Amino acid sequence: MGLALLLAVSLLLPPQGKAAPLDELRRPSIDELYFLIIRDNDAQLLALEGGQIDLLGDIARFSDIKRLSDDERVKLYLAEGYHAFFLGLNLRRSPWDRAELRQSLWEAVNRRQIVRDVFGGYALPLFSFLPPASPYTLVASTSDFNMKAARERLRQKGWRWSKRGVLICPGEDKPLPKMKLLTPTAQVAPTTAEIAERICESMRSLGIPIETEPMDFSMMVARLDRRDFDAYVIAWELSRDPDSLYAFYHSSMDVPGGYNISGIRKPDLDEALESLKYAANEAEARLAAEKVQTLLYEYIPQVPIYSRYHIAALQNEWQGAIASLYMTPDNTYSLLSLRHENKKAFYWCLAEEPRNLNPLSASSAYEWQVLSVIYESLLAVDPFTLEDVPWLAESWRLDTVSKGGKEKTRITFKIREGVKWQDGSPFGASDVKATIEFLKKSAIPRYFDSVKDVERVEAADNTLTVTFSGKSYWYLHQIGGLPMLSAGVLSSLKDWRRLPEEDIIGTGPFSFSKYKPGEYVKLDKNELYWRK
Amino acid sequence: MNTLNNYWLRRVLSSLLVIAVVLSLNFFLFRLMPGDPTGSLLDPRFSPEAKQELLKSYGLDKPLSQQFFMYVKQMLTFRFGISFMSQRPVWQELAERLPNTLLLLFPALLLSAVLGTLLGVAAAKGRGRLTEKAVLLSGAISFSFPSFFVQLVLLLLLAHAFPIFPLRGSLSVPPPTGFWNLLVDRAWHMALPIASLVLLGFGSWALYVRNLMVKVLGEDFILLARAKGLRENEVLWGHAFRTALPPIVTIFFLSLPGVISGAVITETVFSLHGIGKFLLDSVLGHDYPAAGAAFYLMSLVTVICNLLADVVYTFVDPRISFRRLR
Repeated sequence: MGLALLLAVSLLLPPQGKAAPLDELRRPSIDELYFLIIRDNDAQLLALEGGQIDLLGDIARFSDIKRLSDDERVKLYLAEGYHAFFLGLNLRRSPWDRAELRQSLWEAVNRRQIVRDVFGGYALPLFSFLPPASPYTLVASTSDFNMKAARERLRQKGWRWSKRGVLICPGEDKPLPKMKLLTPTAQVAPTTAEIAERICESMRSLGIPIETEPMDFSMMVARLDRRDFDAYVIAWELSRDPDSLYAFYHSSMDVPGGYNISGIRKPDLDEALESLKYAANEAEARLAAEKVQTLLYEYIPQVPIYSRYHIAALQNEWQGAIASLYMTPDNTYSLLSLRHENKKAFYWCLAEEPRNLNPLSASSAYEWQVLSVIYESLLAVDPFTLEDVPWLAESWRLDTVSKGGKEKTRITFKIREGVKWQDGSPFGASDVKATIEFLKKSAIPRYFDSVKDVERVEAADNTLTVTFSGKSYWYLHQIGGLPMLSAGVLSSLKDWRRLPEEDIIGTGPFSFSKYKPGEYVKLDKNELYWRK
Repeated sequence: MNTLNNYWLRRVLSSLLVIAVVLSLNFFLFRLMPGDPTGSLLDPRFSPEAKQELLKSYGLDKPLSQQFFMYVKQMLTFRFGISFMSQRPVWQELAERLPNTLLLLFPALLLSAVLGTLLGVAAAKGRGRLTEKAVLLSGAISFSFPSFFVQLVLLLLLAHAFPIFPLRGSLSVPPPTGFWNLLVDRAWHMALPIASLVLLGFGSWALYVRNLMVKVLGEDFILLARAKGLRENEVLWGHAFRTALPPIVTIFFLSLPGVISGAVITETVFSLHGIGKFLLDSVLGHDYPAAGAAFYLMSLVTVICNLLADVVYTFVDPRISFRRLR
């Protein structure tokens, strides 16, 4: 059974290193790009099978994956993603303030069985605090389910079991009180609710008297915000960078609105997290990330459970998709390289309404699915290595300068020449400067953290220099990942919340044409695109 | 005449009071709900400071009394403010969705009511015969099937296996050119969702009307009408049905506000851009302006429909007369 599943998963893995390198990407061969809005999962599948859509991303249901893998008209792609599902614990309360109990819990949850039973093998058991695709992930050496070892660890630390099999804390007479594990309801999140039940079973096997408490998701988040819980389960969509570590585990984030929900407060961990956050370069960042994760394996403030694969399906007749172990073909690179013998229109499924096509305020993944092919950034991510690659910036240099006895990061970007906005005006360093300054001045929530430390921006010819008030390697990704907006558009914009449709102008391979709410978004090939 | 004026004045005043209560509840209940609009924003890249900026941009950093007066002003002027989730004017979002919802639910309600009523009357007329058994059985089946199941089966059969109807949306992509082509395209897209709702909805009407008619047909005045030698159709429609009509009209008008609230499942299955999903997302996402506006509109329509039901009563029920009250 296990071998069959492994084989099934490996058959879906994309061939490595066969796609065209990024340098070979050219102007798209697709003339018209339609994002078709189909919300229902079954309707999405029927549309793909009926040839009404060419690309369907984010396929999650096991039955759908199985059905599509038997369909010769489509090709399925699978990639490790940034999804991570955790069992969270409240370290402010007994018994979760005891490290040995959390360490035993790590061994007592059978992640492999959960993945097998709930996802039919189409997910990864998670043994790390960062998602599997992140280049900074350090995987734990202890990665197997071992209930015997978990019990033995507790016994050695003085824990006992009552006649009913409930754990008794060292130095206490009474068994542990009954606890609750918060979970969204099965109606809203069936797999999460099922996994929560399974985790509770594992915990009860260890002697922890716990039951699930299903509730509305917003109510659950409110309980977490109030820190009114024993344990909970939650899924996160994290990123390539290890920035979630600081947010989840630094003591300064154990405040209202902060994400240190478990309430871990350890001076050595704080110190390591600060080294990570304020690392001067990538080498320092890697070292610090490793140290943080080593400490986390000792403290275990939450227990990683599983990570979902990203699975997408593409009609077979389209050739040249760019996919890797980390990226399914639903990406901008694929749109530059996909070609078809006789079709020039491409239909990509959008699973939700893109209610807001303003890059300054758009927040959902569906909105960015559209915007990311219109707007570009200074840097991009190599889909094969996950390294930074030059995009609107041809090159960059990161320096640490000393000013007034304080170390500051200064990044110098060489801006690509010959790039034009979709309205025909030239793109240059002054546009980048205008974008950064506009975002900082307007204190736009989405970009607040990315630009808050920017001290000075200077543009001269095709060189842009950004000086920050502090020192951090991550400033490169924060600035390098900003969507670039035209200085002309920004200068006439009175309110950042209201970007007229005619001002949706980027440098990307497709330009905005029409949005028919509830139906589709149509983009046209950008004939002025800088890749020839 | 004075009695008439006093009656309508009282009805209008009580309706205004209902709207005032709904307006206040709309404001306070949403704020009493656990969590705030940033709660659904689960992103570790969003620092607590950035979340504060977000609340500030929503105007939620202002005192509650100030927020309340702004809200009342927005509702009374039908401006509704900016949606927290989309950052677009709420009226714009509603205006985009309302036509689709009305186009889906109003014909569906009308057709269900007409078909159900005709079948109900036919069942009552043919009591004990095959007609009644067929109506009772089909009504019970229509009434008891879950909507998502019926709609998915219809979609699978008539849009996939036998692709007579489109799979999704209310328009072809790219849309056809020309007014008539667009009209036909729209009708083609709406046919299956409307048919599914009629299929699911006629049963309750048929059973309800049948029960009403069976009761009325057993009354003495029907016996008298028959004894007078009136034709059966005249007895059925002119006497029995007219007597049964007021409760049917009431139910119809009370169903109308549902047309505004939309049908979440139908809109999701057929990928229709309607109010139902918008309302659900707004409530779950603590989008106060959007949810507040939608509930306010629904309460307005409910109040207006109740008033309309009262007006229509005076026409359909000869026993109601203000003169007699005096």
